[in-house]
Amino acid sequence: MGSLKEYFHIAVRNIKTRSLRSWLTIFGIIIGVFLIISLLSISEGLKATINEQLQALGGEMVMVMPGGDEDIFSSMMFGGAKLEREDIEAIEKAKGVDTVIGYSYTGTPARYEDEVKQIAISGLDPWKESLEIMSIFQGWDLADGRWPVKENEILIGQVVANDIFSEKVKPGSEMVIKGRKFIITGILKSLGSKQDDSMVYMSMDVYQDITGEKRGTAAYALVKLEEGVDENVVAEDIEDALSKTRKRRFGTDEADFSVITSERMGDLAGNILGIIQLVIFLFAGVAIVVGGIGITNSMFTSVRERTREIGLMKAIGAKNSAVMIIFLFEAGIIGFTGGVGGTILGAGLAKGIELYGQVHPMFYFTASVTPGLIMFGLVFSFFVGCISGLIPARAAAKLKPVEALRRYE
Amino acid sequence: MPEEPIIRLENVWKVYQLGKVELTALKGISLDINRGDFATIMGPSGSGKSTLLNMIGALDFPTRGKVFLRGKDITSLSENQLSQLRGKTIGFVFQEFNLLPNLDVLENITLPMVFQGVGSEERKAKAERLALAVGLKERILHQPSELSGGERQRVAIARAFVNDPEMVIADEPTGNLDSITGKKVMEILTDFHKKEGKTVVVVTHDPNIASYSEKIVNIKDGQITVNHQQAAKVLWGH
Repeated sequence: MGSLKEYFHIAVRNIKTRSLRSWLTIFGIIIGVFLIISLLSISEGLKATINEQLQALGGEMVMVMPGGDEDIFSSMMFGGAKLEREDIEAIEKAKGVDTVIGYSYTGTPARYEDEVKQIAISGLDPWKESLEIMSIFQGWDLADGRWPVKENEILIGQVVANDIFSEKVKPGSEMVIKGRKFIITGILKSLGSKQDDSMVYMSMDVYQDITGEKRGTAAYALVKLEEGVDENVVAEDIEDALSKTRKRRFGTDEADFSVITSERMGDLAGNILGIIQLVIFLFAGVAIVVGGIGITNSMFTSVRERTREIGLMKAIGAKNSAVMIIFLFEAGIIGFTGGVGGTILGAGLAKGIELYGQVHPMFYFTASVTPGLIMFGLVFSFFVGCISGLIPARAAAKLKPVEALRRYE
Repeated sequence: MPEEPIIRLENVWKVYQLGKVELTALKGISLDINRGDFATIMGPSGSGKSTLLNMIGALDFPTRGKVFLRGKDITSLSENQLSQLRGKTIGFVFQEFNLLPNLDVLENITLPMVFQGVGSEERKAKAERLALAVGLKERILHQPSELSGGERQRVAIARAFVNDPEMVIADEPTGNLDSITGKKVMEILTDFHKKEGKTVVVVTHDPNIASYSEKIVNIKDGQITVNHQQAAKVLWGH
C-alpha cells in the first residue's frame, strides 16, 4: 500500500507537468458529467413535482384539460388553450358529475408593503363551492385567518405568505394586484405541492376582471364526482359529452381535450418521464464517451512521449503492474477531477433553475440533487477515467524495457 | 569453490529481424562478470556493445545461448520476476541520464526503492546519504531541469547505487559531459567500486575511460576480440 501512495504521487506529478493538455482532457469529462448530473437532477425533480401534482388530484376528482394527451404537461406547466363555457356545461351534464370547478392561473406582479414581486394568481369558479370542495377533497385548511367571503377577499398559499416578500404576509393585510386592492383573509396550510403553495386564490369573476380573460372559460376543470361512481366510467361519459359538444361546434371528432383520472395521469407521467430519462441517458452517455475518448487519446500521447521513462522505470525494477497502476491513476485522477467539476456545475445549474422557479412559481420544481447522485457523479467519472486509461496503461506496461529505452534515441 | 559470477553469458547470439533482413548483433559471446570487477566494454559504433550491455543488464533476452543472473537463467523468469531481480541486483547509469523530469532529485534517487517496496523513512535516509556521497546534498529538492549535465549524471549514479546492487552498468556515462565533468563522474564510480566493492561495468568507445578499469572487453562485429586484465591492457584501435 505504501507503494500505491508513491505511484499516486508520481501520477499527480505527471498530470501537473502537462497541465494544459490535462485540463483540456478534464474539461471534456466536466461537460459529460455536467450533463449527466444536471439532466438527472432536473428530470428527477420534474418527476417529484408531477408526483406531487398527482397526489393533489386524489381519487375523487377528475381533471379535464384542453389539448390532446401529448399536450398535457405543456398545458399544465405553461397554460395555453382554454375550456370554453360550452365545454364546462357539457362536463356538468355528464353522468356521475357532482360539481365542476373551473380553474385558471397566470403570473403577474403584485405589490405588498411597497414591495413588488412576481406571483401566481388563480381563479376558481364557482368560488364558494370550490372552497368547500377543496377543503373536503383536496385537504385545503387554514393556517391562519378566515375563509374569504367578499369579492375582494383572497387566500394565499404558504410560499406567498413566507417566502416571496421580504415581510411575512399577514391575514387582514392588503395586496395590490393589477391595480386592484385585495384583502388577504386567510393563509392556507401547505398543500404538499410548492406550485399550489405559491398561488394567490380568488374568485374566477375577479380573476377574469383583472386579467381580461374571457368570461366563462377556464384553463382546466376539476370535476368532483358523485359518491360511489367509478372514475373511469365517468371519465368516458365526460369524453362523450365533450366530443358531442365539440363536434357540434367545430364539426370534427378529433379529441383536443384530455380527461385525466389519477390512474391515467400516473401512467402518462411514467411513460413520458421514462422517455425523457432515456433520452437524457443517451445524450449524457454520448458526452461521457467523447470525454472518455479524450482521456484515452491524452494517455496514449503520454505513453508515447514517456516511452523512455517507462523503459527506465522497468529497467530499475518496476513491474508491469507498477507501470500500469501509475497510468491508471493518471487517467482516474483526470476522470475524477472532471467529475468534481461536472458535479459542481451540474448541481449548480439544477439548483439555479430551482431558485428561478421560486421567484417565478409557474416554473416551480425541486431539483433532486441527492448525496447519492453526487457520489454517483464522482465514482462514475473516476471509473470512466480508469476504463479510458486501461488500454494506454496496458500498452505502457507491456513495453519491453530495452525497446522503450532505445525508442527516440 | 569459486564464487558464482553475477552475470554469466554462455554462447550468446542476438539476431534482429529488420523487415526481411537479419542483423546479427552478437555472435556466440561468452563472458563472466564476477563480484568486484571493474570492467570496460569497448568497441566502435555498431560493434554490438550496447546489445551486449542489454544482455549483461538482463534488459533483453538472447536469440540463442544463455544469460545467468546470479545463477538463474533469465529466460526461465517471468517479466515481473526479472524486473524485481534486476532492480535488486543491477543499477543503471545511462548516457542520457534518464531522470524523470517530473520528480525532484531526492525522488529520482529513491525511485528504485519505491519499486522494491522500501518504506519512506528508509528511502529518504538512504537517498540523502547517497546525495551527500555524490556531492548533491544541497540540491535534493531541485528538479532535473535545474541541474547541469554533470549534476544530472551524479543523480543517476546515486539512483543506480541506492538499492545497494551488486553491479552497476554504465552506458557511455561521460558521453554527454565535458572532459573535466566526465572525469569527476568516473571518479565517483571508481570510488563506489573501491570503497564499497561494487562491481562496475562501463560501456564506452572512449579509451580514456577504459583506463579506470581493471578488465577490458573489446568487441567488434558482435564478437569479443580481446578480453584481458588491466596489466595487459590493449586499447581498442591500438
